[in-house]
Amino acid sequence: MLEKCAPGHTIRRTTHGRVVSFGDRVYRDLPKFDEIELGHIRKMSRHLGIYECAKKFGII
Amino acid sequence: MLMTEPAIDLKEHPILVTLQDSISGNGFLARITMSGRTLMREEDGKWWMYGVRPAGIAASGANIEEAFLRFRNSYKEILFDIAQESATFEDFATEVKRFFNEGDADNEDEQSWENALTVVRSGACNPPTAFANLPRRSPNTTPSFIKIERVDAEAKDLRLMPSDNVSDMYAYSAPKAA
Repeated sequence: MLEKCAPGHTIRRTTHGRVVSFGDRVYRDLPKFDEIELGHIRKMSRHLGIYECAKKFGII
Repeated sequence: MLMTEPAIDLKEHPILVTLQDSISGNGFLARITMSGRTLMREEDGKWWMYGVRPAGIAASGANIEEAFLRFRNSYKEILFDIAQESATFEDFATEVKRFFNEGDADNEDEQSWENALTVVRSGACNPPTAFANLPRRSPNTTPSFIKIERVDAEAKDLRLMPSDNVSDMYAYSAPKAA
């Protein structure tokens, strides 16, 4: 989803989670491991400005 | 006078959060005091606490207490991670302020928070039972802020007092502006 909705984004691991950067925005609360609850996807999508695109994938 | 029952079943709840942390960084110790806003709602069979300020954070729980505790833990871990990445106290403070002040791109949760507060203030609803034991606070008397202080030996003009200690708190927005 991020490849399509946030082209050019970067993800890096921190000690406690994953940080997603897209454009000038940074989302610091993506859980460390996969099997991510939908609420996290919703919040990340809203924060990065990709919510409408993310909805098209049917996951939120 | 005929008393009417509250008419609105509020689904989203305006919460005020206050947290204080001591964070060790690279050669510094910082104290961060935060007064923020979160939005709580029930989704997917769980309670979710979504950050409004700071915005970029979310946590779930089987009940509101668990959601708050997980939110609190996530917030602390973000501060830990920022400290890990920061070479100096100034770098740390800059990034923490950015994290706190960066709203969601679509501001949807912030708008929902404001809308929920308007409904609560109108008296048209009562908070559900889940929130019955939360203290009530007015956003007017609990403004949103973040304070980042250096509290190690290198700090300038440092005065430490017991009155500086701040308990973790989350409260339901009061029905009327104080």
